[in-house]
Amino acid sequence: MARPPVDIPSLVAAWGPHVNRVPAGGWTTEGEPDRVVQTHCCFCGQQCGIQLKVKHNQVVGFEPWEDFPFNRGKLCPKGVRRYLQNGHPDRLLEPLERVDGRGFQPVTWEAALGRTAAEIRRIQAQYGPDAFAVLTGASLTNEKAYLMGKFARVAVRTANIDYNGRLCMVSAAAASKKIFGIDRAANPWSDLLSAEVILVAGANVAECAPITTDYLWEARERGARIIVIDPRMTPIARTVDLFMPVRPGGDIGIFNGMLHVMIERGWIDRAFIDAHTTGWPAVAETVAKYTPEYASRIAGVPASLIVKAAELWGPARTSFLLHARGIEHHSKGVDNCLAAINLVVASGRIGREGCGYAMITGQGNGQGAREQGQKCDQLPGARDVENPEHRHYIAGVWGVPESSIPHKGLSAVPLLEAIHDGRIKGLLSICFNPAVSLPDGHFIREALGRLEFYAGIDFFLSETMRYADVVLPGSLMEEDEGTTTSAEGRVIHHKKVVDPPGAAREDWRIICDLAARLGAGDKFAFRSPREIFEELRVASHGGVADYHGITWDRIDREHGVFWPCPEPDHPGTPRLYEGGRFGHPDGRAHFQAVEWRPAAEETDDAYPIVLTTGRVVSQYLSGTQTRRIGALVDQYPEPRCEMHPRLAASLGVADGDFVRVESRRGALVVRALVVKTIRPDTVFVPYHWPLGRSANNCTVRAIDPVSHIPEFKICAVRVTKAPPPDDAEAHLGPEAGGLA
Amino acid sequence: MIEERAFFIDYARCIGCQSCVQACAECDTHRGRSLIHLETIDRHDSVQTAPQVCMHCENPVCAQVCPADAIKQTPDGVVQSSLKPRCIGCSNCVLACPFGVPRYFGEIDQMMKCDMCYDRTSTGKRPMCATVCPSQALAFITLDEFRRTRGGTAINEWRFGDHPVRTKVYLVVPPETPPLLQIQGLGSARPSGAFDRNDVAAWLEQG
Amino acid sequence: MPPPVRVTARGADAAHAIAAGLAAAALVILGIYFGSRHLRDFDVALVPYAGASVFAAFGLGYRYAMWLRRPPTGLYWRRSWQLFFAPRHLPANIVRLARLAFDNFLAQKFIGRRAVKRWLAHWCIFWGCVLAAAVTFPLSFGWIHFETAPASLARYQAFVFGVHVFSFRLDSVLAPLVFNVLDVAALLVLTGIFFALWRRGLDRGALAVQQFANDLLPLALLFAVSVTGLFLTASTHLLRGYDFVFLSQLHAVTVIFTLLYLPFGKFFHIFQRPAQLGIAFYKEAGAASGQATCRRCGAPFASALHVGDLKRVESALGIRYATAAGDYQDVCPRCRRLSVALAQDALWRTHGRGPGKGTR
Repeated sequence: MARPPVDIPSLVAAWGPHVNRVPAGGWTTEGEPDRVVQTHCCFCGQQCGIQLKVKHNQVVGFEPWEDFPFNRGKLCPKGVRRYLQNGHPDRLLEPLERVDGRGFQPVTWEAALGRTAAEIRRIQAQYGPDAFAVLTGASLTNEKAYLMGKFARVAVRTANIDYNGRLCMVSAAAASKKIFGIDRAANPWSDLLSAEVILVAGANVAECAPITTDYLWEARERGARIIVIDPRMTPIARTVDLFMPVRPGGDIGIFNGMLHVMIERGWIDRAFIDAHTTGWPAVAETVAKYTPEYASRIAGVPASLIVKAAELWGPARTSFLLHARGIEHHSKGVDNCLAAINLVVASGRIGREGCGYAMITGQGNGQGAREQGQKCDQLPGARDVENPEHRHYIAGVWGVPESSIPHKGLSAVPLLEAIHDGRIKGLLSICFNPAVSLPDGHFIREALGRLEFYAGIDFFLSETMRYADVVLPGSLMEEDEGTTTSAEGRVIHHKKVVDPPGAAREDWRIICDLAARLGAGDKFAFRSPREIFEELRVASHGGVADYHGITWDRIDREHGVFWPCPEPDHPGTPRLYEGGRFGHPDGRAHFQAVEWRPAAEETDDAYPIVLTTGRVVSQYLSGTQTRRIGALVDQYPEPRCEMHPRLAASLGVADGDFVRVESRRGALVVRALVVKTIRPDTVFVPYHWPLGRSANNCTVRAIDPVSHIPEFKICAVRVTKAPPPDDAEAHLGPEAGGLA
Repeated sequence: MIEERAFFIDYARCIGCQSCVQACAECDTHRGRSLIHLETIDRHDSVQTAPQVCMHCENPVCAQVCPADAIKQTPDGVVQSSLKPRCIGCSNCVLACPFGVPRYFGEIDQMMKCDMCYDRTSTGKRPMCATVCPSQALAFITLDEFRRTRGGTAINEWRFGDHPVRTKVYLVVPPETPPLLQIQGLGSARPSGAFDRNDVAAWLEQG
Repeated sequence: MPPPVRVTARGADAAHAIAAGLAAAALVILGIYFGSRHLRDFDVALVPYAGASVFAAFGLGYRYAMWLRRPPTGLYWRRSWQLFFAPRHLPANIVRLARLAFDNFLAQKFIGRRAVKRWLAHWCIFWGCVLAAAVTFPLSFGWIHFETAPASLARYQAFVFGVHVFSFRLDSVLAPLVFNVLDVAALLVLTGIFFALWRRGLDRGALAVQQFANDLLPLALLFAVSVTGLFLTASTHLLRGYDFVFLSQLHAVTVIFTLLYLPFGKFFHIFQRPAQLGIAFYKEAGAASGQATCRRCGAPFASALHVGDLKRVESALGIRYATAAGDYQDVCPRCRRLSVALAQDALWRTHGRGPGKGTR
């Protein structure tokens, strides 16, 4: 029975989150480190280069890595302080077992792995092979992502494996695949510098991809105009040429409206469209009715802004479109992205210097982790799990019969729903904290409580791990080795910096051990992550995301290699679609006509306000790591509810007052932050916190029909002034979900 | 021969991410203690933020008003933290600095301030804050790099009240801006009724 | 009444300081003359030390006076005494002064909060020097001297200003302590130097900012004084007086050099640092005087006393913050930072980024 063995405050007292404020070895400035290791920050998809200083097998500090070309030494606060997660007092040092009423108690690896393997087989024997599920993460290295996909299909033999990239990149991925035929940023970031106009849609670049800010500034210094589409005036939006405070969910109004104006004014590239695309007539027909006035009603911004945007974007010679979760976290997330990409293709400004498109990857390995076959519908090399040819090739690489590879399984949210309704009885998770990160948090936690058996691999006891029967202490990024693929599509190398402490083990060893206990030892006889990468190279060969020509040595020598890179003598592919050759078999881009449709839950009289959620710069995802780093917690200790002064006045709320934000599914109580920088019809709460501070208590469990991304950006709430919360959880530290 | 690098500050670029604040505490001359300032101008009104490093005045007011003669310049013009044996913790410098830079730390009874990461700059490295700054509001680059990558011009002459100050750190301003910036510290009231471009409601209404 | 802030020419400053130096030197000479009972107790062998002390006194007086002539210093100096001697507060002030002196000088707690090694180093050096100074200056000035008791060669008598204070037997526990007090001091100083060099040799921050003349020379001088002093003891007790004369001359040279260096380098902080105590009274008086409010944000930011004094100091120094439109000194530090940033941001607002962008 998977539920917290004791009450939350007791678990927090024993396992954290506690904050670490002092580096391993103290704030000393004495002596030199034993070594300085060039590696990467793990806290977002940009994967900035960083050097970690090591002394006595502990990370004691950092030094900027100015030679790494993407960030040239630049780091956001998470990067600067990332080293403080090492040597942390909350670090899991030995396997644990849940003891009801007493908490978690140490057990041997033998016992923990043995029990986990036995439970997997028991549940599968009793309820069928797919009744045991595997949930993974997009912060894992490519090697581990590959290993997890293979583990689920070959060792566990379940169809139900999915990953938390489902909360991040899948809308952008699906849209890119539909139009371009390849799921990857089309250009390296350096192409931003020579763009005449840059459209940033639904991306709070300053907080979620801070290093991208300098690219935008450098482009501006050269004359680029910047358009930002966001319901909030983000730091980068403050000074830009055109800010469009879109109504959450109104993005298609802006994109289709802009395209309408562009067609009207003749700002589309007919020759390019004829030579390199399909599907244009349907798009032209669809956007015909999106006059600025019509579009304005959908977008919730004045028609004049839409016209201005078209006037900036339309006639430019070079341009770049960036988007992120702001347009993707919707039940129409894929359509939002399609409408945005239509603007790019219609302008013909793609595949050349200064002309391009990129989704800004959010998670550490958001790009690579979705290519190596840990999505419910994919096999390595971004192959399709239902494509017979693809299945055949991978079966060959794995040395298993094609028929033994399970077919498409459930994606993350339906998978949790299947747990809730009893179709799935057992779960193994790694690098995923759904108790904080999935929408409709109460439902999710209820589901976790219904598992017959739950084992998790983690380095800290996350909020989700509190539900585990067995906890296997894994490795931090700096305690293991492997590659990731950055937002640019650049495959880079995370070096092993220190060994895992105590009895903790590298994640890949745990998985291989478990596979051996499940009788698949011969398929998991890896002796190092490098050997896993060698197999991954072969598995990806011939796929869309072809890593075959990439080696660890090349990565180190060349500061990363861009996929596709089919052969060792191939230079890699920083810029896709050069010469107008797209990824589809016909070599063309496939326009997709998109109509706007309402959100899953629109506001009404009972719940009249839109709640939208997002990140703050000092926290990463569900906060398992960043809520344990004192300096980052201090920077923004607890979530606040941003609201416009007009809304605040109508609610009788003053800045700093506690407010209760309540949807049909749940509520949270936080302090109000009254600011002019948000639409008056919308409130914003960042999502990194648990318990009564969790924005996902409110969010809606609605997913995009294609990408299955949840609609984190829109749900209907009511907001009321509330007394300061006085429950036991509110008295925890803010890092644990209490109040500062 | 590498052209000498200089410190440039462009407040308008700042995104308030606090990388500089976090990284400042990693400098060896004051590790564990952040000396840079990062101001949120007025969060109610806007997201504007601004970092403030020491501007390293040629004739520093902080040193002039120090009764203990504890603030010294290096030969290359870097104004150092107060000398530990001398500083008597009076805070004259804190109040007199035209840029509001020095910080007084009560528990150690000493003023400390940005010393341009002297441990780094004296050995050819860039200061921590300017190295990590994601928006390069703080930049430590050669004049040549500045001209290549910036549209603005760099000035280093100021007047506070009637007091002229020249600084080692440059301010980035639009081209053709007069080379001397006058600061009175009187605030900049927006004329009532003017478009408030920081107010999202105003954007929605402008039509 | 606020004390006046003097503005004087450099020449006048120098004349004043020379006078102060001469006065200090004269005081020491008079002290020697009368303290040694018209030189009756004065040991001629120690003349070089006494002479160097006179020179040091001149230097210190000169330097101190020059320091006090700086407008901010002078003002603080006079303010501190004015506040200290305020009749209503004097008794409380004396108690407070004692406590502050204990925390800051005897225990040096504030240094401990900077770094433990630094505190250890400083504490050892401080007490070693205090101990040594407490013995050597009175000895070389002839203020104390020792004699064998008329009745017994095994008894020693100690005289202070010619007055018999106590006596002890040569075989008592006290005897070796009295005779070797300077060795104890030297060992304390050497321990301190060890910690100081340990810290300075490893600490990346210290390595970056330390200067030979300011940070290492003083340690070298103290090291020389201590080691040559210990050589003397070693020569006497272990080497039967081997090279004693040369060693004592060497020791004298190191001591005299250190004395002459006293007013100029890092050691001057010994005399300057007590001003720190005055600041405590100044801050208290400031807190009672009411707060100055920022003319931009309206928030209190410092004591009215402090801001008022600072304005006078600034005016004396030629810092022209005051204008017809108001005084920049009335702007709080945070508002100064905001003003600078807002001024620059406004320039860009009207200009716009990128080439060819005019006013929008």
